[in-house]
Amino acid sequence: MTATRPRNGWFVWFSLLLALLLSVAPMPDFMQVGRPLWLALLLAYWSQAAPQRVGMTRTWLLGLAADVLYGTPLGQTALVLALIVFMLMSLQQRLRMFPVWQQSLVLLVVFGLAQLVQLWLNTLTGNRPPTLLFLFPALVSALLWPWVFTVMRWCSRRLSVY
Amino acid sequence: MRLLVLTVLSVALMVVDARFDTLKPLRSHMAQVLTPFYWLAERPVRLWESVSQQFSSRDELIAENEKLKAEALLLQRRLQKLATLTEQNVRLRELLNSAALVDDKVLVGELIGIDPNPFTHRILIDKGEKDGVFLGQPVLDALGLMGQVVEVMPYSARVLLLTDNTHSIPVQVNRNGLRAIAIGTGNPERLELRHVADTADIKEGDLLVSSGLGQRFPAGYPVATVNEVIHDSGQPFAVVRAVPTARLNRSRYLLLVFSDQRTPEQRAVDAALAQEAADREAGAVAGAPAPTPATAPAAPGAAPLASPAAAGVPPAAPTTEGARQ
Repeated sequence: MTATRPRNGWFVWFSLLLALLLSVAPMPDFMQVGRPLWLALLLAYWSQAAPQRVGMTRTWLLGLAADVLYGTPLGQTALVLALIVFMLMSLQQRLRMFPVWQQSLVLLVVFGLAQLVQLWLNTLTGNRPPTLLFLFPALVSALLWPWVFTVMRWCSRRLSVY
Repeated sequence: MRLLVLTVLSVALMVVDARFDTLKPLRSHMAQVLTPFYWLAERPVRLWESVSQQFSSRDELIAENEKLKAEALLLQRRLQKLATLTEQNVRLRELLNSAALVDDKVLVGELIGIDPNPFTHRILIDKGEKDGVFLGQPVLDALGLMGQVVEVMPYSARVLLLTDNTHSIPVQVNRNGLRAIAIGTGNPERLELRHVADTADIKEGDLLVSSGLGQRFPAGYPVATVNEVIHDSGQPFAVVRAVPTARLNRSRYLLLVFSDQRTPEQRAVDAALAQEAADREAGAVAGAPAPTPATAPAAPGAAPLASPAAAGVPPAAPTTEGARQ
C-alpha cells in the first residue's frame, strides 16, 4: 500500500476545511446546543477510510486552527481531536468489521468521552455549562454518522481517494 | 507515544496561553488567516437576506419608510429637549465646580460571527487592532451596554457579552443610585444582582445603569431593567433578576466606545480653556451688555490665567464626584 502514490489528497483537506467552516456556520439559537462535531466526524471518517492521510500530528495542527477560530485557549480543541483520532485508530481493525449502526454506537461513546474532556478543560478556565446538555452534540453527531459515512464513501469512491 | 507528546504540548500551550502574553502574536497571525472563515460561513445567510430584500414588496417598504419617518420625528423632538438639558447640566456642573461630562467617541462595528459554543456568550465583530480597538473596550448597541472586548485580532475582535457566566458589571439603580453588581447567568435574557440587602429599595421596572466604578465601562449607560425581586426569608440576600436592555442576541450593528483617556487635571484645564474661548466669543458678539454674563465667567475665566491654581483645584472635584458615584 505504501508504494502507491496517494491520490486526490486535496479532497481530504477540502472536506476537513469544509468541516471547519460548518463548525462556525451560523445556526438558529435552539439548534446551537446540538451543533454536530463536524471536525470530529470527518476525522473519524478519514481515520477509517485513509488512516495514512490523517496522522495525529496533522489532526493536532488542524485543532490548533480550530482553537484560534473558536477563541478557546490554544491547544484545547487540538488535544480533544488528537484523543479522538487516537481512540479511533486503536479501534480501527475492529470498527471496520462493524455494520454502520454499530459504528455509530462506538462513536457515541468516543465523542461522549471527548466532550467530557472538553468539559473538564472548560471548567479549568472557569466556564462550566450548568447542565448535561454538553453531551447532546455527541448524540447528534453519532446519529449523523451513517449519513456522513455514506456521502463521504460515495465521494471518495468517485474520486478514488486513498 | 505521539499522543503523549501531543498531550504534553497541548497542556503546555494552554497554560502559556492562559497565563502569559507570549502567544499573542502567533494567535493574531493565525486569526488573520482564519477570519475569512467566519465571513465565508455567513455568506449564505447574507445572500438570503439580500435576495429577500430584493423581493420584499413595495407596500412593506412604504410601511417601513413611514415607520422610520415617525421614529425620526420622535427622536428629533427628544433631541431638541436634549440640547436644553445638556446646557442646564453644564451650568449645574459649573456651579458644583466639577469637570464637564464630555461626549464619548464611538466607532460602529458589525457582527460577523457568534461563538459556536452555546454555553459562552461571545461574538465576533469586524473591527480590530487596525481600527484602534483595545482590550476591555466597552461595546454598546442602540439600547444599552452589550459587553466588552476580550480579544483583539488585526481585523476583528471578540466581545464578551454581559450575560456570559464569567462576566459581571457594576451597576446603579437609576431611580435612587443604589449600587450593585450584575452578574451574567448564561441565559441571554437574564442578569442577576448579587448581595442586595433584603431591605434595599429596589423593585420591578427599575432601570439599572452602569455606575462606572469598575473603571472599565463609562458611567450612565443603561444596562438592564429589573423584572423580578424575590424576598425569601431563608436567604441572606434578596434575589434580584433583570433583563438586559441591549438586544444581545439580535443586534447586528454595535458601537465601540472610546472614553476619554485624559487625566482629570488635563480635562479640567481643557474644559476651562474651552469655557474661556466660548465666553470670549459670547463677549465679542454681545459687546456692550456686559453686566449679566460678567458674573458667570468670572471664575472659569480666571482659571487658565493662573494655571497652577487650575491644576490644583480641579483634581479635588473629580475625586469627590467619583466618591459620590
